[in-house]
Amino acid sequence: MKISEEKLNDVAICILEGEVNISNSPELRKAFDGIIKRQDKKVLVDFSNVSYIDSSGLATLIEMFQRLKKIGGALRFSNLDQKVKNVFEVTKLHKLFEIFDAREAALKDF
Amino acid sequence: MTISEKIPSRLELVPEFVANITNKVKHLLSEKELFNIRLSLEEALVNAIKHGNKQNPDLYVKVTVEADKDCISMKVVDEGAGYDFKALPNPTAEGNLHKASGRGIFLVQNLMDKVVFFDCGRGIEMIKFLKKGIKEGERENKRREIK
Repeated sequence: MKISEEKLNDVAICILEGEVNISNSPELRKAFDGIIKRQDKKVLVDFSNVSYIDSSGLATLIEMFQRLKKIGGALRFSNLDQKVKNVFEVTKLHKLFEIFDAREAALKDF
Repeated sequence: MTISEKIPSRLELVPEFVANITNKVKHLLSEKELFNIRLSLEEALVNAIKHGNKQNPDLYVKVTVEADKDCISMKVVDEGAGYDFKALPNPTAEGNLHKASGRGIFLVQNLMDKVVFFDCGRGIEMIKFLKKGIKEGERENKRREIK
């Protein structure tokens, strides 16, 4: 998995590429640690190039959701592939997270 | 086709181990089936390593896959003490949705057509009927037959 970051106004955008799995979830947690340390409160995760996610990836996202909630922040997701989106739907996490089809729509929602 | 492999209880080895197995059967699967089968096998293995073998690297998990154009069956068996698979909480329940863990076996149960636990929870068999081999109406009959 490749993780890159951008900042657009006050939104930290985390762009993921590849697979989010049990081997590389700690890397994602580390990237989220950096965002929290910088006190960015609005975070968008762009899934455009994510082809796979497992329950350890979901766990890492839930932890970030909780951390942001504690400091009054917000987490949004965009551009999920249908198979990846299905994992969120099966686990009903689409009810917990704010998921948008496009990055622009997610940014507007903050 | 039958595949039989063993993996030591090291979580970091799981994705590559699963990819190697699913690569051998991917010609039988649609893209969606491949995704769901790969995810189910990975979750069952992680569960076996974490909760079955308690991540003891001296213990192994055995995987047996039988596949043809109609159906794929995957058995994952650990060397641990077993566990009460009936006591697994529902991660979609309102009080559990915010919890970070506890979704692995739930995903397996929802992505596969049939899931059977055996040997006091040391083993899990996951079955998926394949679209390429069986027409949609026949899949339901097949599912009823096996229940």
